Amino acid sequence: MAGRGRQHTQNSARRGLPIVGLQLASQAAILTIAFTTAGRAEDAVSKHDLQAKMTYCKTCHGSSGQGLRAYYSIPRLAGQQPEYLTNQLRAFAERRRTNNIMFNVAHVLTPAMQKALVTDFHELNPRPLGGAPKDLVEAGKKIYEEGISGADIPPCASCHGPDAKGNEQFPRLAGQLHDYIFSKLKNWTKERGQNPKEPDISAMMEPIAHGLTEPQIKAVAAYVSYLE
Amino acid sequence: MKFIRATSQFVIVTVVFSATARADAVSKQNFAAKIGYCQDCHGVSGQGYRGFYPIPRLAGQQTEYLENQLRAFVEHRRTNNVMFNVAHNLSPAMIRALATNFRHFNPRPLGGAPKNLVTAGKKIFEDGVPDANIVACAACHGPDAVGKNEFPRLAGQIYPYVVKTLTNWTSERGQIPGKPDTSAVMQPVVHSLTKSQIEAVAAYVSYLQ
Repeated sequence: MAGRGRQHTQNSARRGLPIVGLQLASQAAILTIAFTTAGRAEDAVSKHDLQAKMTYCKTCHGSSGQGLRAYYSIPRLAGQQPEYLTNQLRAFAERRRTNNIMFNVAHVLTPAMQKALVTDFHELNPRPLGGAPKDLVEAGKKIYEEGISGADIPPCASCHGPDAKGNEQFPRLAGQLHDYIFSKLKNWTKERGQNPKEPDISAMMEPIAHGLTEPQIKAVAAYVSYLE
Repeated sequence: MKFIRATSQFVIVTVVFSATARADAVSKQNFAAKIGYCQDCHGVSGQGYRGFYPIPRLAGQQTEYLENQLRAFVEHRRTNNVMFNVAHNLSPAMIRALATNFRHFNPRPLGGAPKNLVTAGKKIFEDGVPDANIVACAACHGPDAVGKNEFPRLAGQIYPYVVKTLTNWTSERGQIPGKPDTSAVMQPVVHSLTKSQIEAVAAYVSYLQ
């Protein structure tokens, strides 16, 4: 029994080396990316601190950043545009975006830690959580790709991309929780751009959030929530 | 006492049987008997009891959470010999009926926790401790600690029960490594919380109605 166990371990080790090597390589790659983009050595984030902070984020945002339906619908961060995430963290810290829990999370983060976190989350790619009513998807796709000309709503695709992966400051919507999207679009002006003296990019979405009807929001949210 | 118990049982049986689609799956008599059995330890209104062991409040608890725990006891993913014996001969229909039943009770919390810990506990509950990577409980359990679906209600939960549960989390829950369950989500939280933080947060939630 012991002999068989030992042989199994040896075989696994031989087979497993490329896999383990790949894991180590990708971890090293991510850490290297995180550390080189972090800038000066004094600002750099220790591996231990980054891992602890990521675990903390993932407690609410999901073990692979896929989001979580708890009391609140907590958004997917996996694959999100780093520039968008950075902007949101700053908006939370400066209270331009209203959320008490995220204010507390964000205001203690150093710029170096922020950079490392947004980079790490961008690399994750779990499957979408799903759950939206499937019968809304077709209507949602139409709105996403064509907009609503009668209401001056441009196609979402024009800024968020045809595959909803976003670009720079325009967030990825693909795989986002449908109920989160609904809640954000409905409450846009109550939560974002809260400092009139410091208007921010969230203002771009105001006429769109205002112009969309609830059924249209639900349709578009359902559509993007299934995109991978 | 008997009258109150009988009346409350009648009310609850009525509520449960109008609420559950397949009332024929659990006979009224069996259900009433089983409820009486639960009430012996968990209190007439499910408010919990401070006996030799602190016995948790079930009143107002999320149905999905209760169902998950009953299944976890049966499968030994959650370690408790008394609750294993309680749970392992419950049919799925009975589990559903019982879990639904306790949702509707709303007695006042038992209280008794040190009141001087409440302010610190409220801060941890609402804001977390970002420097120590402790998440805000409110994010998942809700601002009023009523929970949702598989995330349990903490409002009014027995103080020594919350303390014990958080302190012993990894030795009681998720006990089958090959069958990880929702209890895993709490692991980073219990790992980071200090003893005094646990006591503060437990005191705070124990007074919430």
